[in-house]
Amino acid sequence: MFTGKPSVFLLMVNGQIESADFPEFDELYCKYSYVYGHDWAPTTGLEEGISQITSKNRDCNQHFVWNFPMEITFKSTNPFGWPQIVVSVYGADLFGNDVVRGYGGVHVPTTPGRHKRTIPMFVPESSSKLQKFTSWLMGRRPEFTDPKVVAQGEGREVTRVLSQGYVTISFNIVTKDLKKLGYDSIPTNSHNPVLSDV
Amino acid sequence: METVYRFPPEKRMAEVHIIGQIVGASGFPQNSLFCKWGLQAGCAWKLLSGLKDGQTQVDNPVIKDMAYWSHPIDIHYATKGLQGWPKLYIQVWHQDSFGRNELYGYGFCHIPSSPGTHEIQCVTWRPLGTWQEQLSQMFVGGGPQLKHSDLIYTGADRYRLQTVAMGKVHLQLSIILRNFDQYGVEY
Repeated sequence: MFTGKPSVFLLMVNGQIESADFPEFDELYCKYSYVYGHDWAPTTGLEEGISQITSKNRDCNQHFVWNFPMEITFKSTNPFGWPQIVVSVYGADLFGNDVVRGYGGVHVPTTPGRHKRTIPMFVPESSSKLQKFTSWLMGRRPEFTDPKVVAQGEGREVTRVLSQGYVTISFNIVTKDLKKLGYDSIPTNSHNPVLSDV
Repeated sequence: METVYRFPPEKRMAEVHIIGQIVGASGFPQNSLFCKWGLQAGCAWKLLSGLKDGQTQVDNPVIKDMAYWSHPIDIHYATKGLQGWPKLYIQVWHQDSFGRNELYGYGFCHIPSSPGTHEIQCVTWRPLGTWQEQLSQMFVGGGPQLKHSDLIYTGADRYRLQTVAMGKVHLQLSIILRNFDQYGVEY
């Protein structure tokens, strides 16, 4: 049915938080959530999630595998405020307390298709050696009050962080009506997906 | 006088969305780094939303080969002409354990002019002083800095400057263009 020019476009994200690489730690779980601008709203799917706790395989594979599914669809009128996925990884320390092992974030890819992103994870650093020792002892590490701070550009100049691992996320992106609204997000050398080298 | 091509005013303005991150930096002598960045565009360009400059966090990586910032960039420009396509300029600074800041490099790159996701490595350089200044820099740190930061992205007065190469800044930028085909612009 021809309904005239659309006013919103849709962005469908299907993906998974595949795995992580933290050389120094074991038994981690992750939480994810989305940060997006005022013109965006999720229509279906889950905006947040917590994964299972996973460990490194003792024999060969030194990665943490979560294989944690994410499915969400957004609608918007403006690409400004494109959604970002914010991931936080937590684990147990020596004394059994739940401490944060890393925060990281990345924009959801803007082009349709299959994408893999490996994002670095960082934790806020203690401001002095004494604070570092007491936080290790008490199990209260420095952490962000709101993990969504990772997705913002302002106010970061005063934070000191320590990057200590990576998380790999894969995405499958479909957009609807982005082209009808006049937006061009597809690279020019991939207009013919049939012809590709194997 | 340069000829400037401007789009006829009755058509809709062309728009550019820049969505991405300053991922991090590699190849610098020490790794406790932060970056001050900004965008510079010509007079036909108007910033509609987003921050056009900022400063990243200071990263002290455990895995020593690269410092990671993951600083998000989300900027929306509208433009009446192609001249003055936006340029991203960066200054990489090192913060030592005493909290002193030392300049580690200047660099710039043009925002890509074709849609899609681009992995960009921006090379950087640092001004080189006299041999006395280099000797004191080796012991005490510091070193010459540019008086006018617009020399980072213009070529006009550079012939007097002597510089040395420093590391690279890694960026991942996705570009979405709108209404450019109305003006016959090919990319």
